[in-house]
Amino acid sequence: MLRKLLASEEIDEAVLLSTCNRIEVVVLTRNADAARMRLGSFFRRDLAGSDDGAIARALDESLYEHRDGDAMRHVLRVTSALDSMVVGEPQILGQTKEAYRAAVECGASGPILDRLFQRAFATAKRVRNDTRIAEGSVSVARVAVSLARQIFEELEDKRALLVGAGEMIEMALAALRDNGLQRAAVANRTAERAARLAVEFGATAHGLDELPALLVESDVVLTCIGGDRPILTREVVKTALHARRSSPMFIIDIGVPRNVDPAIDEFDEVYRYDIDDLVGVANENAEERRREMVRAEAIVAEEQQRFDGWFTALRAVPTIKHLRSRVEAMRSAEVERALARLDLPEAERSAVEALTRAIVNKILHTPLSRLRQEAEREEGMAYLEVARLLFGLDEPGGDDSQSDGARSESEDSDPT
Amino acid sequence: MQTSWIVGLHHATALLYLAAGALAGAGMALSQLRLVRASVATLGAGAILHAACFSLIHVVEGTPSLTDAPSAISFMAWIGVLAFLLLLRRARLAGLLVLVAPMAFLGVFYASLRLSWVEQAPAAETGSVPHAHVLLASAGLALLGLSGLSGALFLAEHRRIKRKRALGGKSGLPSLEALNRVNAVALAVGFPLLTLGVITGALWVEALHGSPWQGSLHEIFTWIAWAIYAVLVVQRFGIRQGARPCAVSAIAGFGFLCFAVIGVGLFT
Repeated sequence: MLRKLLASEEIDEAVLLSTCNRIEVVVLTRNADAARMRLGSFFRRDLAGSDDGAIARALDESLYEHRDGDAMRHVLRVTSALDSMVVGEPQILGQTKEAYRAAVECGASGPILDRLFQRAFATAKRVRNDTRIAEGSVSVARVAVSLARQIFEELEDKRALLVGAGEMIEMALAALRDNGLQRAAVANRTAERAARLAVEFGATAHGLDELPALLVESDVVLTCIGGDRPILTREVVKTALHARRSSPMFIIDIGVPRNVDPAIDEFDEVYRYDIDDLVGVANENAEERRREMVRAEAIVAEEQQRFDGWFTALRAVPTIKHLRSRVEAMRSAEVERALARLDLPEAERSAVEALTRAIVNKILHTPLSRLRQEAEREEGMAYLEVARLLFGLDEPGGDDSQSDGARSESEDSDPT
Repeated sequence: MQTSWIVGLHHATALLYLAAGALAGAGMALSQLRLVRASVATLGAGAILHAACFSLIHVVEGTPSLTDAPSAISFMAWIGVLAFLLLLRRARLAGLLVLVAPMAFLGVFYASLRLSWVEQAPAAETGSVPHAHVLLASAGLALLGLSGLSGALFLAEHRRIKRKRALGGKSGLPSLEALNRVNAVALAVGFPLLTLGVITGALWVEALHGSPWQGSLHEIFTWIAWAIYAVLVVQRFGIRQGARPCAVSAIAGFGFLCFAVIGVGLFT
């Protein structure tokens, strides 16, 4: 797909990014309007499979576009997971790196997008290290795991009991499994569903009548089962705690209405969290992430300014090259004329060449450095114009460096 | 010359312990695990410097008595830090450094303010029994102190989790299970050391006065503290008391022990 895009002359560089909720194409173009049309057609034909019809119309409604500085900022924000469904999610950085790698491999990324994505990765790293944007779980299942790890040192040697066999239980169990929990038992009213979940997660299946015995062996208990009355009553838990010789238990009650009697909170060794508690913790973490957004956005703005400076400074490249070649032409002409009048041996001729070259370089060093620096600012354009005027670079006959306008596209290229 | 080196090393050690505590505190507050890791390295460097300090004392004195309060407290801080660093290899305990490092700093700082002990070690107190008494009792006290500190952090964490308060994923705080284990291990090792310290103390008193019991306040309170810990050991390992009451007892026990061993000595 990237090769197809690059085949069109209005697109110079491209990176195709695909995440769980978006497909984006970052392109460098000299003709933003033509590129826009080309990309619209690319999305309709190559992704939706048709240039018209309902799908294409629906696709049109979902299309969005960022240009110039907005586009740069968007890439930095996306890579830093500030534009994600779950702010601060860690996967987006990996997905962006993968997209960039694919673009580099097929030659679709050039010097500008290379620089932009390197800056984006650096920004993402800074955002991750300098803010708490990625901290604190924001899903109920992850909060449960995070809490379990605050109670137990390792989950590998712990045993979980699942009461119920619904989707929520399955998600929480999967999250616990991902964090090392190995032994689990499933207890449910319907034996078949318990058996299905047990097979899927390598657990054992039980009936609800075995609950008191299972409770004694379980460190983490997840409940989500229908019923009007709590199935884990104060008495049942008290008996289990006594048999467990005061080993701690983490009880997660996701059932509505509650499956666990809140009165068990009085036991020191029991840590009970119901769905409201878990959602509360998740919301607090999400709120913390939102607060961190302000700091993260400031980092993005700072990094964007850095990239912007570099990008703007590219405007100076043709002028600098032009000026250099003009002065070099003058130098070599004068040296040639002088040497023609003098009868010098080869070694001395070389010395004269080196001497004049060194003088020219020294004279040009400061003004060219200053031009580069000034070109990073918006007002720097005036300096470039003055330089062109002073050295007559725009006058007829001053085009002796037309061949070196290699980077001239940077003057009118936009990452879009 | 060597004395000034000992003084310098002691000051540097105190500074490193303080820096470790500050780094750990900042790391926890900002959720920066890099800072917490740096604090562990700083504490380790402090422990090495502290060891160099004791080695130099041995060079100066041969076998030092270390029977004065500053030496014993400094030694206690060192053993506490070493025990913590050893336990750190077995569990995610870096968060406990927030309490261990400042305590070690206070001990070494106090000792460094009274650095005259090198020249003034009383000749009558040298010998193997007093030396063994101080080393064993200080090591026991250090471990029981570690038990108390882990108990304090356990209570704070227990309260937070019970109150259902959110916590960032990278907080670096130890788990309740790890804190409870430190509490138990420190008690299991510290109590026998304390017992040996009390026994050698009695032998020392006997060597000085002809009887192992003189009825001094220090002796009375120390034996009471020992009895409290004996009950605690039975509660924890015999009747398997829960983690929270054990944490409370460890704090109370250490408070009383400090008063018995250090406080009574300072006030009488």
